[in-house]
Amino acid sequence: MRPKTKKILFLFTTLIFMFFYIPIIILMAFSFNDSKVGTVWTGFTFDWYKSLFSNDQIISAVTNSLIIAVITTLIATVFGTLAALAIHRYNFPGKKAFNFLFYIPVVIPDIIVAVALLALYGWLDITLGISTVFPGHVAITISYVMLVVIARLAGLDASLEEAAKDLGANEWQTFWKVTFPLIFPGVLAGALLAFTISLDEFVISYFTTGPGSDTLPVLVYSMVRLGVSPEINALSTIMVLLIVIMVVITGRKMRVSK
Amino acid sequence: MTSENMVELKNITKKFGKDTAVNNLNLTVKAGEFLTLLGPSGCGKTTTLRMIAGFEKPTEGEVWINDQQVANVEPYKREVNTVFQSYSLFPHMNVFDNVAFGLKMKKTGKEEIAERVMNALKLVQLEGYIDRKPKQLSGGQQQRIAIARAIVNNPKVLLLDEPLGALDLKLRKQMQMELKHLQQSLGITFIYVTHDQEEALTMSDRIVVMNQGEIEQIGLPEEIYEKPTSKFVADFIGETNIFEGVVTNTQNEYADLNIDGVSIGIPKTISLVQDERVYMSIRPEKAKVSVTKDETAHLNGTLKEKIYVGSVTKIIVQLPNGREMVVNESGDSLRDVKAGNDVYVSWQPEETVVFKD
Ligand SMILES: Nc1ncnc2c1ncn2[C@@H]1O[C@H](COP(=O)(O)OP(=O)(O)O)[C@@H](O)[C@H]1O
Ligand SMILES: [Mg+2]
Repeated sequence: MRPKTKKILFLFTTLIFMFFYIPIIILMAFSFNDSKVGTVWTGFTFDWYKSLFSNDQIISAVTNSLIIAVITTLIATVFGTLAALAIHRYNFPGKKAFNFLFYIPVVIPDIIVAVALLALYGWLDITLGISTVFPGHVAITISYVMLVVIARLAGLDASLEEAAKDLGANEWQTFWKVTFPLIFPGVLAGALLAFTISLDEFVISYFTTGPGSDTLPVLVYSMVRLGVSPEINALSTIMVLLIVIMVVITGRKMRVSK
Repeated sequence: MTSENMVELKNITKKFGKDTAVNNLNLTVKAGEFLTLLGPSGCGKTTTLRMIAGFEKPTEGEVWINDQQVANVEPYKREVNTVFQSYSLFPHMNVFDNVAFGLKMKKTGKEEIAERVMNALKLVQLEGYIDRKPKQLSGGQQQRIAIARAIVNNPKVLLLDEPLGALDLKLRKQMQMELKHLQQSLGITFIYVTHDQEEALTMSDRIVVMNQGEIEQIGLPEEIYEKPTSKFVADFIGETNIFEGVVTNTQNEYADLNIDGVSIGIPKTISLVQDERVYMSIRPEKAKVSVTKDETAHLNGTLKEKIYVGSVTKIIVQLPNGREMVVNESGDSLRDVKAGNDVYVSWQPEETVVFKD
């Protein structure tokens, strides 16, 4: 590569990184700012973290979001992985259509899923609450899990499963001793994706949740209409840190099991 | 064991869609035998092996293992183990766990597992590598682990699909000997797949030559080499000179074969009919090249090239009909003969092999 091209590419990459991370860094910095209006730096404080943890509304929204994200991740990961295995391994009539149906949620706008679910709940006369949020979240995250796991399965040497059976392992043992450990990085990546998508999902949650069971993005949305509170900055900082830790751990796990 | 026959294939046919991979194959493998399936790539060797292991279901016909029809026996319940072409070691397990896998599936006791795994690893001389992951081993070592992983289970039959294909020549030769010794000392029936005729000739008790999903010939290595029954086998096994001619006389001790106007005596090992077109084959090491014509001389030509290959010198002779012939010479009687000189090629008629197709 010519030195000049290299320089330009380097500059370009740096700009992109700055574009991504400067707003986040500013946000994290202002979570320690001792001023109610977050535009000027007036001094260091932990006050916003303290008030965050004593804000029942926020704590309850975080709890709701985490419950929804964890359960969504479990359901989407289990069923997404099973569907991926079915599609990878078996030929059945209508396989193409089945496959296609699973991918639609990736490209379909969330708003359509939200409105459709809302209509369905209305028609079935179901009262909105935290439990009415799950179907939408599972519907959109399951496809991502499938995509990731199918990619991993495609790279799996089929003769390894045959080797296991050749050595006396039945279907069940073959799956748990060979197939699953080898696709585990994909399953983990899919789960992580499902978790983060569910955690910051807004549109579907906004439409399908009931009164008193706001998720975090829904609560933040209603709060920022009255101006960004530094408490939100504090909360965001905690979430960024948690997600960074999660990504680092899963990254390690994947490298180990490769 | 109630019978001599370890594996029997009865009228086996395997079709993939419209393509026939294996066509009406009949084969009996005796207990303790080293049997090789030999043939060019794509002739159906792997498919045959996979039907014995249970990974493919025959479209027609039956597979019998140890006097049991195994159509409804899952691969994991068959008393056979496979050494795969690509080794297929489990990448997430170390050497010990790889080799122990089969025993663990059978719920063997911990101590027995440790003992048998170490014994198997000793057999392949890798007992010092139990903690390594497969990717930390060389190709040759992975190969040995794959063998240890299979034989540790004391299978009745071991299926090996081109197990040495990925190794370099020297290691391959060494492993050929080791495998042969292993097979003899363990007394396991080996069904071995290769496309390397030399490998087949050195290792096997019996060779099955396959072509396009069918058996061309079954026999001892000497039979396959010395007495091929078809042009395909003669051509595929070793180097040879094949001529096509017309039978002109069948009355005498030797029949006469007219090859482009030259008459040559051939043994009457198969029934020959006047005016019939047949082939004859003569191995390079069975013929002689000389500068003086004697009464055994069969063909005359000009010396085209001498190629020194170490153990012998290959003499390429240009024949008047435009064909070339290869003769191996071990002495140096032709030292002074140069390209373009007239030479005579001769051989004993009994050394020729005659076949119809
Ligand atoms: N799973 C399969 N699907 C379709 N065709 C196959 C399959 N396996 C093998 N074949 C075909 O069957 C023939 C024999 O293949 P194979 O048994 O692998 O040959 P070999 O091991 O002698 O090289 C080939 O023409 C191959 O393309
Ligand atoms: Mg093959």
